[in-house]
Amino acid sequence: MNEIMEYLPFIIPIIIVELVLMVAALVHLLKYKKFRFGNQILWIVIVVFLQIIGPILYFTIGRGDE
Amino acid sequence: MKGYLAFTKKEFVEQIRTYRLLICLSVFFLFGLMSPLLAKLLPEILSGMDLQGMVLAIPEATAMDAYAQFFKNITQMGIIVILLVFGGVISNELTKGTLINILAKGLGRHTVILAKYTAMLVLWTLALAFASLVNHGYTMYMFDTSDISNLLFSLFCLWLFGAFLLSLIILSSVLTGGNFGGLILTVVVLGGLLILDLFPKLEKVNPIYLSSHNLEFLTGALMPADALLPVLVTIALLIGNILVSISLFNHKKL
Repeated sequence: MNEIMEYLPFIIPIIIVELVLMVAALVHLLKYKKFRFGNQILWIVIVVFLQIIGPILYFTIGRGDE
Repeated sequence: MKGYLAFTKKEFVEQIRTYRLLICLSVFFLFGLMSPLLAKLLPEILSGMDLQGMVLAIPEATAMDAYAQFFKNITQMGIIVILLVFGGVISNELTKGTLINILAKGLGRHTVILAKYTAMLVLWTLALAFASLVNHGYTMYMFDTSDISNLLFSLFCLWLFGAFLLSLIILSSVLTGGNFGGLILTVVVLGGLLILDLFPKLEKVNPIYLSSHNLEFLTGALMPADALLPVLVTIALLIGNILVSISLFNHKKL
């Protein structure tokens, strides 16, 4: 328990950033439903399960034009 | 001037709407945060491994290790993120043809290049400053930072290298066509510079110098005066890139 407490100042910000990115990507992909490649289910899986990298991949190469 | 301000503002809005701002800030925040953490945890991870009787002498992690991680992260992953995020800034507009309208209405072509570069530079500065602040805060929290020297100059070198990279992206995007032409040409040029860096005689006239010797400034092995030539060369190349981009863009068919 002590170990975890020691690293809490690191863990909390990381989790917050992960969640913010994931929610932003999810909201965007559920709203626009357009992708350069792949489909909605594939991108939901990528965004939810690949922490940090998933949302970044979605916004940089996966997102279609509005 | 009015057109420049308006176009720069449009670029900032675009950075927010395309989530570039969010991505840059969060990724660089994580770099700043992970670096001291990795430096701290690495000896513990190594000592936790079963080495079957081998004895590893691992020195206690210091602030230098945290900064070594930080510079390694930013110069490798950070550069990749910058390339991905900014690679399409000009190519996208060229392929979609969204620039034709505003250029026909009388906005100068040089204004487009300058405004785009300004917006990119501001975002890069913000991201790097954010990462450095977070990294320094956590490093101070975990380690003793008293033996670090020339920190600001070392960060300035990194910033200047990033600024050079952004100007290179603009030049490559103007030179090539297609969605990914600019990105690919930038990577090729960067690879060429990395190969040139292998020759010790050319090292000092190569912008790579600014991103590969950051830690030596912190330890005091190199002084800011040693980097005068690379800094000047990089600034000259940066301005040259922008000027060439503007003159090429003036004649480019849209």
